Amino acid sequence: MTEATVHEKARNDSAYMDPSKRGYRTGDVDVTTLKLASEDDVQLVLKGVDHSARPTWKLRETVTFYRDILGLPLIHTISARGWGPEGHPDFLHFFFDAGKGATIAFFYYIGTDRPEKYMPEDSHFYSASHTAWGVETAEELALWKDTLEKRGLIVSKFTKHEGLESIYFRDPNGYPLEITRRLRDVEVIDAKDAALTLEAAMQLEDAAKASGQKMTDIDTVWRRKAKLVEEMLGDL
Amino acid sequence: MPRVHVVDVPEFQPVVESAKAREAEGYKVIGPREGYFTIETAGEMSFNRKDMRLTPAIWYGIFTGGLNGEITSFGREVVTIIGTNKPL
Repeated sequence: MTEATVHEKARNDSAYMDPSKRGYRTGDVDVTTLKLASEDDVQLVLKGVDHSARPTWKLRETVTFYRDILGLPLIHTISARGWGPEGHPDFLHFFFDAGKGATIAFFYYIGTDRPEKYMPEDSHFYSASHTAWGVETAEELALWKDTLEKRGLIVSKFTKHEGLESIYFRDPNGYPLEITRRLRDVEVIDAKDAALTLEAAMQLEDAAKASGQKMTDIDTVWRRKAKLVEEMLGDL
Repeated sequence: MPRVHVVDVPEFQPVVESAKAREAEGYKVIGPREGYFTIETAGEMSFNRKDMRLTPAIWYGIFTGGLNGEITSFGREVVTIIGTNKPL
């Protein structure tokens, strides 16, 4: 099939464009109904982040912040009439270069007000959705912190996590931003350990759900992890 | 008897070293086996954050490798664990 044929077929067959089948946009994806990657012969591969995008109701402040204060080049702007689903406002969609082919993008929906639920919050749940950009050295990270502070921004302390060291700040929309550097390469043991930790937690989540409860603490996860590790080591 | 499993990565190496330095106090270090050190004591086991020079983000994940035991106190500087009959 040519590219055009493929695209035409997708347009006609896809529930994505059928107004009567749009429940999937608000409903949960039921993973139990999906096929696993291991069940077919297709190896899907991603090649890094192209862009992440968020809405903004502060056009000038956002452009000033990303382009003129952070210094990220503005590399593309789309301006269009609202199209597709009914009620789509006219909009601007613009992209700032974040390095290595990645961009951070915004949608500015003309003539709309920011809904209450899109207001920034001082909470862990809210900050969990954030953009983390990479730098390569301690010197680069220090230069970002020092320079942004001299430009007037409030920037967090350096925080060393497992494998990463980061600084944090927010943009004019209240969106959390992070700049981070890898402290070491990820090794085979990290992936093995990651799988064991999440297996322990998923087992406990399953058990909690089955009895209508919630998981209570990380200590319980650590104990189940010990069980899995000791089984692997032949200690149990 | 409490047992702590420690992933063999640089961030958690101070935990292993701290136990090795206290062999005379009954701390036993096994491994690494398949990427994990195991620390055992006959009685109570404790770790001191400042002695190990762990940052808070590492400190509060100190048992991520697995805890066969029970935490009796977990402060900013000292964590203490004992053996447990709780199911793993």
